[in-house]
Amino acid sequence: MKFAVKALSSGKARAGVVHLGSCPSPIETPCLLLSTRKGLPIFISPDLLSSLPSPDSNLLQFSPLHFSEGPSPKTISSIGGLHQMVGLHEYGFAAVARDSIQCLPECGSTNKTGASFETPCGRRLIKPVEYMEMITSMKPNLWATLADEVPAWANNKRNKTSVDRTVKWLDECIARSP
Amino acid sequence: MALRFEVLGRFNRARAAQLTLPHFACQTPLFMPVGTQGTIKGLTTDQLEEIGCQIILGNTYHLALRPTSELIDELGGLHKFMNWPRALLTDSGGFQMVSLLHLADITEKGVTFQSPVDGKPMLLTPEESIQIQNRIGADIIMALDDVVRTTITGPRIEEAMYRTLRWVDRCIAAHKRPHEQNLFGIVQGGLDPVLRDICVRGLVDRNLPGYAIGGLAGGEDKDSFWRVVAQCTAALPEDKPRYVMGVGYPLDIVVCSALGADMYDCVYPTRTARFGTALVPEGVLKLKHNAMVNDTRPIDPTCACMVCKNYTRAYIHCLVTKDAMGSQLLSYHNLYYMLQLSRNLHSSIVEGRFPEFVCDFLQKMFPKGDVPEWVCNAMDVAGIDISSCCSS
Repeated sequence: MKFAVKALSSGKARAGVVHLGSCPSPIETPCLLLSTRKGLPIFISPDLLSSLPSPDSNLLQFSPLHFSEGPSPKTISSIGGLHQMVGLHEYGFAAVARDSIQCLPECGSTNKTGASFETPCGRRLIKPVEYMEMITSMKPNLWATLADEVPAWANNKRNKTSVDRTVKWLDECIARSP
Repeated sequence: MALRFEVLGRFNRARAAQLTLPHFACQTPLFMPVGTQGTIKGLTTDQLEEIGCQIILGNTYHLALRPTSELIDELGGLHKFMNWPRALLTDSGGFQMVSLLHLADITEKGVTFQSPVDGKPMLLTPEESIQIQNRIGADIIMALDDVVRTTITGPRIEEAMYRTLRWVDRCIAAHKRPHEQNLFGIVQGGLDPVLRDICVRGLVDRNLPGYAIGGLAGGEDKDSFWRVVAQCTAALPEDKPRYVMGVGYPLDIVVCSALGADMYDCVYPTRTARFGTALVPEGVLKLKHNAMVNDTRPIDPTCACMVCKNYTRAYIHCLVTKDAMGSQLLSYHNLYYMLQLSRNLHSSIVEGRFPEFVCDFLQKMFPKGDVPEWVCNAMDVAGIDISSCCSS
């Protein structure tokens, strides 16, 4: 992946361009990532997706936790990764553990071993090693490491703990980086 | 008359034809997906064109309730409203009223029922049905018939058959757009060959652009079903299209085509998709089954559709019944399957290899040779030798 800033405003805003291996054209930033459910935008199959403006619609965000109930990382690997599995070979995928709708961080249940999420399949505790197993099998272009996400009203102690854990898990994820 | 029907090839009773309608030139045998509310659930009109859909069926009853035929007319007709450039067929509204509404009462005037919107008593007459269909603007419209299920016996069937003939005259008189819309009559008469014969003759006398075989696809046994179709196709005119309403399963369509029918409609492919079932040459594939969890094969390796080219059973399994995309992808595949079946029927008849196609189809569906007896009997009458597919 390559990212370059092309222009700066008099403030902090910048216009840039992202080159991803799977995308044939570079993508201008700021850009909007389309949110997905199990890798596909809701209601929009790949043949319809191609009618959206390109390359602006070529970056998709997904949560590996959408696949908690399957297919397994082993099956996803044998298919060849997320791009192959959902038939979007020339698109870019960015993995983030949480989405804003169905995989919500449950900071009260997160502990030192892993992050907890409320999902359609119930509450799940994900450890860095499991998260990285999913990332390795899915092969997204971009991925965020596992974090201990807390709301803005968390108390100081909880806030400090979340930062410590997040940094620790950052190292664990990087160590297992594909 | 606003259609042309030209037979391009035959094998005994089976025929492949070009049916030229105001909005599209279709090839028969053909399958019509059902677009109840002016849409096929889960597919856009672009996708329908892409998979080769030629005609879509719209339900007059549902459209008259929402958004009303007057609004559709004001906005330029259903083709424009749903952005579908090819052909459309509307049914009369009769079947829904009888199947969906408990307190429907059928009299000589028409069908009285309670409006599901506000409970008010409403009356659908042959005249009203045709007026609604005139406003909707489909290429083919259906006469209001007195529908009786074949599972009923007794004098009601005879009453319904004669009333159907009287109503078709009222439909013909009420039809304001015969040069743009083709009015099809519907053969009723239950499972009684005498009644069916009277009805066929009566309709043929009216010289309509096309004819439908109604009152089937309602739970009758398969042996009775094929015999009614065979009798009607033998008696209906050669040079006009024959439409078997509400049929159906791929096997039913192959048999009816062998007996000389041309057009079909059914909610089965899309409805079964929403329950996680895919249509395949072997029959059906239930994507919900645990066996699919890690199956990395496509739904049907012989299918060329977008779904089979891009997706594994494992992925579809994780979607079905949980995410709308599962229904969408399966509906897409199932309709592609039905339309490909139609294309195969047409081309195999035109190219002189229809019996081989039928045998191949049956062999894939019944690899052990256990072809149902009703199919064997029907193929016998159709003059197609399927002994190579039958073990008995």
